[in-house]
Amino acid sequence: MRDTENMEAEAEFEEGEEPSFSDPEDFVDDISDQELLEDILRERPQEADGIDSIIVVDNVPQVGPERIEKLKNVIHKIFSKFGKITNEFYPEDEGKTKGYIFLEYASPAHALEAVKNADGYKLDKQHTFRVNVFTDFDKYMTISDEWEAPEKQPFKDFGNLRHWMEEPDCRDQYSVIFEAGERTGIFSNDVKEPITVEERARWTETYVRWSPKGTYLATFHQRGIALWGGEKFKQIQRFSHQGVQLIDFSPCERYVVTFSPLMDTKDDPQAIIIWDVLTGQKKRGFHCESSAHWPIFKWSHDGKFFARMTQDTLSIYETPSMGLLDKKSLKISGIKDFSWSPGDNIIAFWVPEDKDIPARVTLMQLPSRHEIRVRNLFNVVDCKLHWQKNGDYLCVKVDRTPKGTQGVVTNFEIFRMREKQVPVDVVEMKESIIAFAWEPNGSKFAVLHGESPRINASFYHVKNNGKIELIKMFDKQQANSIFWSPQGQFLVLAGLRSMNGALAFVDTSDCTMMNIAEHYMASDVEWDPTGRYVVTSVSWWSHKVDNAFWLWTFQGRLLQKNNKDRFCQLLWRPRPPTLLSAEQIKLIKKDLKKYSKIFEQKDRLSQSKASKELVDKRRAMMEEYRKYREGAMQMYQEQRPLRLELRGGVDTDELDSNVDDWEEETIEFFINEEIIPLGDLA
Amino acid sequence: MKPILLQGHERSITQIKYNREGDLLFSAAKDTVVNVWYSVNGERLGTYNGHTGAVWCVDVDWDTKSVLTGSADNSCRLWDCETGKQLALLNTSSAVRTCGFDFSGNIIMFSTDKQMGYQCFLNYFDLRDPQQIEDNQPYLSVPCSESKVTSAVWGPLGEFVIAGLENGEINQFSAKSGEVLRKVKEHTKQINDIQTSVDLTMVITASKDNTAKLFDSTSLEHIKSFKTERPVNSAAISPIMDHVVMGGGQEAMEVTTTSTRIGKFEARFFHAAYEEEFGRVKGHFGPINCVAFHPDGKSYSSGGEDGYVRIHYFDPQYFDFELEA
Repeated sequence: MRDTENMEAEAEFEEGEEPSFSDPEDFVDDISDQELLEDILRERPQEADGIDSIIVVDNVPQVGPERIEKLKNVIHKIFSKFGKITNEFYPEDEGKTKGYIFLEYASPAHALEAVKNADGYKLDKQHTFRVNVFTDFDKYMTISDEWEAPEKQPFKDFGNLRHWMEEPDCRDQYSVIFEAGERTGIFSNDVKEPITVEERARWTETYVRWSPKGTYLATFHQRGIALWGGEKFKQIQRFSHQGVQLIDFSPCERYVVTFSPLMDTKDDPQAIIIWDVLTGQKKRGFHCESSAHWPIFKWSHDGKFFARMTQDTLSIYETPSMGLLDKKSLKISGIKDFSWSPGDNIIAFWVPEDKDIPARVTLMQLPSRHEIRVRNLFNVVDCKLHWQKNGDYLCVKVDRTPKGTQGVVTNFEIFRMREKQVPVDVVEMKESIIAFAWEPNGSKFAVLHGESPRINASFYHVKNNGKIELIKMFDKQQANSIFWSPQGQFLVLAGLRSMNGALAFVDTSDCTMMNIAEHYMASDVEWDPTGRYVVTSVSWWSHKVDNAFWLWTFQGRLLQKNNKDRFCQLLWRPRPPTLLSAEQIKLIKKDLKKYSKIFEQKDRLSQSKASKELVDKRRAMMEEYRKYREGAMQMYQEQRPLRLELRGGVDTDELDSNVDDWEEETIEFFINEEIIPLGDLA
Repeated sequence: MKPILLQGHERSITQIKYNREGDLLFSAAKDTVVNVWYSVNGERLGTYNGHTGAVWCVDVDWDTKSVLTGSADNSCRLWDCETGKQLALLNTSSAVRTCGFDFSGNIIMFSTDKQMGYQCFLNYFDLRDPQQIEDNQPYLSVPCSESKVTSAVWGPLGEFVIAGLENGEINQFSAKSGEVLRKVKEHTKQINDIQTSVDLTMVITASKDNTAKLFDSTSLEHIKSFKTERPVNSAAISPIMDHVVMGGGQEAMEVTTTSTRIGKFEARFFHAAYEEEFGRVKGHFGPINCVAFHPDGKSYSSGGEDGYVRIHYFDPQYFDFELEA
């Protein structure tokens, strides 16, 4: 129909008669502009258009007409950096400008940029600009003059944050980063195989950290830190710190310290920020002048104080005010290193020799600042402070060059903290020290000394009378690191990286090597928090092939080899300190036989269940495979005629199916004969 | 089980193959010579001389009359098996990567590399038509532009070729039309080797993605996976047991930086149904490039980057061994 109409119209046109396009006089448009031109109307200028692009600048110099041009030039120079200024207005009163101006930019983004950068701009001594977006005007107008109590935040329930402690089989959890950081998983440790608790892609951008009591898992992102926890690992807290690289928790888990190399400005210190974990609030920011070792702030064991060392100064801060303790830092000229006792509010620090004044190790009680022990040392090259985990002992490893000699000798100065006046005993070491480690809950320490390949491992015991006894020395060890079980007594000597991952499992109660093993190219050793298991791993971060983590018992029996594609890092989830009293622990130890019976039975049960599961699994797989093969064989038989045809009637289905056609050929070979008299072998 | 060491090549072994009866073992290597050995004692029977580049592939027809080889000298050659005489020379524009006789022995296929501006082709010749050989004109030439063929075998009854590609895909190419009949992608990296079961109903693929997988030849249905922690260069299916053998190891270019101990150059035996590893055979001091079962299933051979072929006869315990189920 349309075609014919068109044709008619064309026909008419050809005849030269101009058709009339005008509406008839009584015509009323039945389409509103709204409908017809919606897209165009939407762009119609509005009264409030551009209001977002206007900024108000306060504290502008008040000038008369003779200098206004100059002012405008200056203003233009400063503010056109952020975008094109499309409009400006300088209100005047009695011939002078009023001291505030309005500028309009081409877009709201420019206005925001101007506010961000020009607010606080110092034009001269008297004039510091205050820049606001014009629309903020409304916002500030509506603020009531009376104080209103802030609204109560609804309580967010994250479930039981210690949920993992209620696991009936007392399994410990660990976090694993793999696929080169693409995936992160939380697993429950089990003798048989890891049980996945949670696994997410791109959970963190770099690595993860557990809080010291295991409550939170911290993940790193370009924009800050996120804390996760509870049964399902929901997000509990976020700390926005652009470019964050390092974090440190206070031992009480109440505060977190983050470090970012970006963002620090002169007026607003935020290289290091201390946050309140519970509220998510920023408590205080700090500059970071020196590239000291992380953690820059060291926490006291209870989280009440934290301290930082700068040139000739030790600054101690207190929580929760985050202010300097007694409002001033300690002047300690030449201070080289300091360390908190893990058991008490005591700081140990040392100062090197200065002309006639000997080097000094000082123990200071806090907050009293009382010096409880000072030890003078001579000819000191370097000192290292090693605290025993309970704070019972402090070992200061002192490298000295005694007068008249060339070489460096090392002394261990052992401070017995629990005794009156803190007696000090000295162990002299003739060889260079590779590693030193205290038994976490005991009075022994282990030392690796010597030069590769002649490395010796020595174990010492600090007796009650102060005598320090060498219990045992193993010579020619392949080791460069010592890893004590968190419960003490057992340890792993490991030759990490360059030493090919040699492992020695030692029981220090009688100093026996329980097992010697190897995890080739191992880069890390991690004890579980109970001291029952050890994990050795080859991280993709240090070595690109064979990335895996292996699980061992504390005796050095290999339980699992877990190959994970581009495995990066495994971290055990720490446990909070035990709630049992010393007596209760003693009682449990006494009745260990009773408990071990129960556990052994449980183990047997799970083991037989496991082997049954394996057998069942195999059976199912075999069944499936057999079914497939039957189908395939049936088809194979059906195709037999086709096969015969293709090979000209020769049956080749079986190796010997055409045995009649075989030609027998006898081949002779010369065979070497070797006569070995048996007597020599024995 | 003391292996028989075949020392006849000066460079790394690229492919080994038994004939149908299993009395002969053919080996191709990066030196230019193809060797044939008595499989029973490892004595060398003869060589096929003529190639001027690394020989990538070798195949023998079902009645052990002709031998087919493909080389990096841009040629595929047909030999008389018994006399070692070159029967045909098929020149190509790029290296010949993989070759094979079909079930009847009448049709051959070979694939060429994507190289020097030439793309990868899968070529089919019918040996019954001498004109095709004379004119070097395949009756069918299939371009594979997406990803090059890295390994290929004939399917049962010679209806199609099962080809493994550089991108991990497996394609069935019809021998009549050249069209892709089926394709699957179970591997994430290059397929280094494909071998059939003795009855041609199954194929096993060996891939750089550290796995070998079992497929049905016709449906290309994925049946089993065998995982290791090193690239797998070759895999074979036992003709008598539910076993597969896999060879591989750290890539040759990385080997110099590590000791043999961690290169994992062992041949590894897996149970075909349970997908579990139950044994390893050490010996090579470089990656294993190819493995093959004797058709009677009582021995197997491996060829390595180290240039040796090793024939292993199984101990009696091997045949009694069973995983509990």
